[in-house]
Amino acid sequence: MESDWAAEHLQTIRTLMERSAVYRRALAPIMIFNGALGISGTVLSCISNIESSRAFVLAWAVVAAVALTGSFLLVRRQALKDSEPFWSPPTRRVAQAMVPALTVGLFVGMLAILANGAGQSGAGVISLIWCIAYGCALHAAGFFMPRGIRLLGWLFILAGMGSALALLLTTRDGIAGGQASPLDPLFDGRGFFMGIMFGGLHLICGVYLYFTEKGKNAA
Amino acid sequence: MNPELLLQLDRVIHEKGRLAIMSMLAAAPELSFTELRDALAMTDGNLTTHIRALQQEGYLTVAKSYQNHRPLTTCSLTPAGRKAFADYINLLEQIVRQNKAK
Repeated sequence: MESDWAAEHLQTIRTLMERSAVYRRALAPIMIFNGALGISGTVLSCISNIESSRAFVLAWAVVAAVALTGSFLLVRRQALKDSEPFWSPPTRRVAQAMVPALTVGLFVGMLAILANGAGQSGAGVISLIWCIAYGCALHAAGFFMPRGIRLLGWLFILAGMGSALALLLTTRDGIAGGQASPLDPLFDGRGFFMGIMFGGLHLICGVYLYFTEKGKNAA
Repeated sequence: MNPELLLQLDRVIHEKGRLAIMSMLAAAPELSFTELRDALAMTDGNLTTHIRALQQEGYLTVAKSYQNHRPLTTCSLTPAGRKAFADYINLLEQIVRQNKAK
C-alpha cells in the first residue's frame, strides 16, 4: 500500500519535472505567420521570375531571415504578456536543438551562392535539402516541445525524401540522363515546392494548433 | 515496511503543493511566478503561501526584477533545497524498493 503511494508520488514528480522543461509558448501564431510568409515567398518568386540558383537562395534567405526575426518577436511578445523571461531555459533548449540542422541549410545555401549556378535545376535540389534539414531541426526541437512538433518534423523529412525519390523516378533515364520530369515545375525558381512545404504545411499546422491549443488552455 | 523511513520524509516538501513546486524547480534553473502558477493551476494566494513556507525553510529563493518596465518574480531552488529534494526522492525510492523486496 505504502509502496503504491510512494511509486505514485515518484511518477507525479517525474511528470512535473518533464513539464517544467517543456517549451510552453503558443505555437499557432508562429506557425500561421511562417505559413503566410512561405506562401508570400512563392508569390514573390513567381513575380520576380527567378532564373538562377543564387537568386533563388538569396530570395529565400531573406524570407528565412524575416521568418526567424518575426518568430522571435512573437515569442518575445508572448513572454512579455505573461511577465516571463524571454530567453528562458526551454526557449534556449529549443533554439540550441534547431541550430545544427539549420546551419546545414545555411551552409548549403552559401555553397549555392558561391557556385552561382545559372540553371534552375539547383533550386530543386536546394529546396529538397532545406526541407529535410528543417524537418531534422523540428524533430530535434520536438524533444523539448509538445509531441506534435516531432511529427511535423517527420512530415518535412519524409516529404523531402519522397519528393526526391519521385523526381528521380519520373525523370526519364534518371536525373543524370538530363531528361525533364513532369514534376520539374514544382522545383524550379518559382519555388512552388517551398510554398507547399514552408507555406502550406505551416499554415495547416498553425490553424490546427489554433483550435487545439485553445481547447487545451480551456481544459 | 520500515516506519522510520516514513518519519524521515521531509514534512515541508511532503505537502502536495510544495512538492509540485519543488519538482518543477528541480528541473529548471529558475521559473517565473506566472509559469509556476499556470503549470500547477494554483491561485496567486495559494502559490504565495507555499513559496513563503519553502523560503522560510531555506529551500527556495525569490528574485524580483523588472523586464521591460514590468515586474518579474522568479523562483529558484537553493543548494539546501536541491539537497532536501534529492534526499526526499531517495527516501521514496527506498520505500518502493523495500516493499518490492517483500
